Amino acid sequence: MLVDIRPVARLRGKTPVDVATPLTAVLEALRDGTADLSRVRVVCDWIQYKENFREVVDVRQTAPGSPDQELEVAVDLRRAGDCDVADLTRRLMTQNGSPDAPDRVWLEGWLPGSKGCIWAFNRLYWQALHLWERATGRGYESALPGGASDARNEAAVRELVSDLFRIWDDLSERRALPEELYVVELGVGNGNQAKAWLDEFRVMDQAHGRDYYRRLHYLMCDYSPHVLDIARKTVAGHGEHVSSLVLDATTPTTVLGFLRYKVFLVYVSNVYDNLPCDEVVNIGGRAYCVETRAFLPEAEAAEIAATASTATTDLPALIHKLLQIGPELVAEAMPTQFTDVDAAVEFWRRCWQSLRRAERFVPMPGLDSYQITSSLSGEMLRPLLDAHGDLRINVNNGAVASFVDTLPLLHPYGRLVCHDLFITDVEQSRTGFRGPGKYDGSVVNWVNGPLLAHIGSRKGIDVRYAPFAHRKGTSIVTMTAQVRD
Amino acid sequence: MPILLPTTVVGSYSVPEWLERLKTDFYRKRLSAAHLADVHDVAVKAAIKDQELAGIDIVSDGELRRDNDVDYLLARMPGVRATTTVKSYYFDYYDLVVATPLTEQPVGLAEDFRFTREHTDKPIKFSFTGPFSLSRRVRDEVYGDRAELVRALARALNAEARDLVGAGVTMLQIDEPFLAGYPEQVALAVEAINIVTAGVEATWGLHVCYGNRYARPSWEGHYSFLFPTVLEARVDQLILEFARKGDEDLPAIAELGWDRALGLGVLDVKSEDVESRDQVAMRISRALEVIDADKLIVNPDCGLRHVSPPVARAKLRAMVEGAAMVRNRLLGRSEELVSAGDPAS
Repeated sequence: MLVDIRPVARLRGKTPVDVATPLTAVLEALRDGTADLSRVRVVCDWIQYKENFREVVDVRQTAPGSPDQELEVAVDLRRAGDCDVADLTRRLMTQNGSPDAPDRVWLEGWLPGSKGCIWAFNRLYWQALHLWERATGRGYESALPGGASDARNEAAVRELVSDLFRIWDDLSERRALPEELYVVELGVGNGNQAKAWLDEFRVMDQAHGRDYYRRLHYLMCDYSPHVLDIARKTVAGHGEHVSSLVLDATTPTTVLGFLRYKVFLVYVSNVYDNLPCDEVVNIGGRAYCVETRAFLPEAEAAEIAATASTATTDLPALIHKLLQIGPELVAEAMPTQFTDVDAAVEFWRRCWQSLRRAERFVPMPGLDSYQITSSLSGEMLRPLLDAHGDLRINVNNGAVASFVDTLPLLHPYGRLVCHDLFITDVEQSRTGFRGPGKYDGSVVNWVNGPLLAHIGSRKGIDVRYAPFAHRKGTSIVTMTAQVRD
Repeated sequence: MPILLPTTVVGSYSVPEWLERLKTDFYRKRLSAAHLADVHDVAVKAAIKDQELAGIDIVSDGELRRDNDVDYLLARMPGVRATTTVKSYYFDYYDLVVATPLTEQPVGLAEDFRFTREHTDKPIKFSFTGPFSLSRRVRDEVYGDRAELVRALARALNAEARDLVGAGVTMLQIDEPFLAGYPEQVALAVEAINIVTAGVEATWGLHVCYGNRYARPSWEGHYSFLFPTVLEARVDQLILEFARKGDEDLPAIAELGWDRALGLGVLDVKSEDVESRDQVAMRISRALEVIDADKLIVNPDCGLRHVSPPVARAKLRAMVEGAAMVRNRLLGRSEELVSAGDPAS
């Protein structure tokens, strides 16, 4: 039996985490059961998000149904002190590790993580943000650490604009500067970043004296028309220089294809962590896809169903209806279940709060048989998996798709600048939990920086990471990608 | 009898993912040099076969033995030293230094030609990167003057060209993928090209593009920068990219006095979208408005290295069929195609 304690940094210090008690409880429960203990791994994590998709104890099947089947017992050390770990383990193990526990209301079948319904919830959050905000009484930005987006940081903006001026001056001297100067922002939020950027740009351009502002086209892109409406009002003072476009951040060239090789700066802030993500786990030299299955704990499901005058068995269908058409239409279409839109929003919020995911590990026949995106095979994962032994990593399929599809937009001297939660070293995946978690009504997930760097290098792009320089103590990392050679 | 609107290729042929992996495995010591050589032989034969099946009139070895446009030639030149022979990815450039004066000793590209000759009966074009572009990827510890370095490289390439012609090469192409980034140095580049071609009896082509590293342009601009200096280049063909950039520069090239053959780029090698034969035919027809048909050669913009093998094959087929449509029209025949590559002559 292997025991893997991941949050090693928390084992020391002023308030070291207690591993012994929950681990002993798990081992005792396993001892009392019938599972082949030589085929069991115990994994201790520290789930950093207070709101997340994990139970305190999970049991996962590895290669389910095959002669090689093994079990992984996962314990969240952060919450282990609040419950009877031995009892939880015993209950799960009595089903011989099958996660098809009867006290769960399943919302879907087994799927790769990126296809699971948590991402439909995430999408709904951004599409119906105004309703969520009305219900909670606070804007999404106030849910961010520090209550504001780093995207608005003026020092960071000045640094970006200065870099642009340097490149443009150089190109201008070589008579190679295009007449139109394009800057693209993917995921504009409320437009505050765009406004801060444009305000600063205008001031700096005046001082610089090259009249670049006249030639500037700032394209605000988001998949929420509502968000774009708000953003447009925020940047009204720059009207002639700003266009707004509805697009899916994972496929920017579908809308921006006309800007291929023309964009000098693509700016992305806190978008990648919010895009669908598979996970791959390497155990004993074999790669597995982490399949997930969303559920609600039965007791909570019963309460939620009662609020919507629905039988618990009908709850999954009702939730999928909500995810499909949103709270406004579902309230209109199902007045028996929801008296008004607010009731539908409340139903949505409670479902989200109770949402959990079970996991299992399904062997991958070969990395090349797995697609990270439609154009990138799982072979791109090989250097990460080969070099680091047993490891679980985020594939960040949505972020990878966005990254790869953004690169063709870049002018030969253009760059992609991205502020997000990046893992910058593969080891960080071994020693800490990297998501997904819940952030208000959306999903938050660490982005696999080494994977993006590797993919970038295979496309002639240098990818560099640095801690966000303009706010101390932040987890935000700045990624800069630009053409090599 | 010469072919009207002959079709040919430029640069590297599509590199399959498995070949990239094996090439990289070699640098990681997971594959021996002997096995890699076998792999290259197989890949080159397949590339030749793909071109033949598509109906290409003048084929190449697809440059599949070459990691990139620089290292295969430059790293083997006597006088050039690689600071390290380790690469994390085969396509990366070596860090190269001219450590001692370059000699005029061929590096052995003729062997590659002989292998190609053994595996096809089609006319063969053989290409190498030109002295100006090579000079941009090497540090100089000998000459102390970049122009002198370029000339020295040109002399070494002249020796290589003589060796190639001795092996039976009749069509040679100089690729200058870096030139568009340094338009103010065209005179030096042309001077060096004339050193390369001096005394070498072959049909010479000069290929200038805006870069194709990782399927991205390295620069943007207009081909007018080549003129009038390029008129002094002792080459027979100018091979340029027009499919991705558009053909706005075409009339200017004719007006600025280019009266020799023109290699017309009709396939965008930076896009996986496959051109239709009608698109290709249209591009050729537009070129014929300013260039005589007997001076037009039909080719991709640059190497198809970065598109997938199925896309590369489809693009070549479209190019051959588009050229055949125009050729048939010019010869007063039906535009209906009998088969891909119908080589009207």
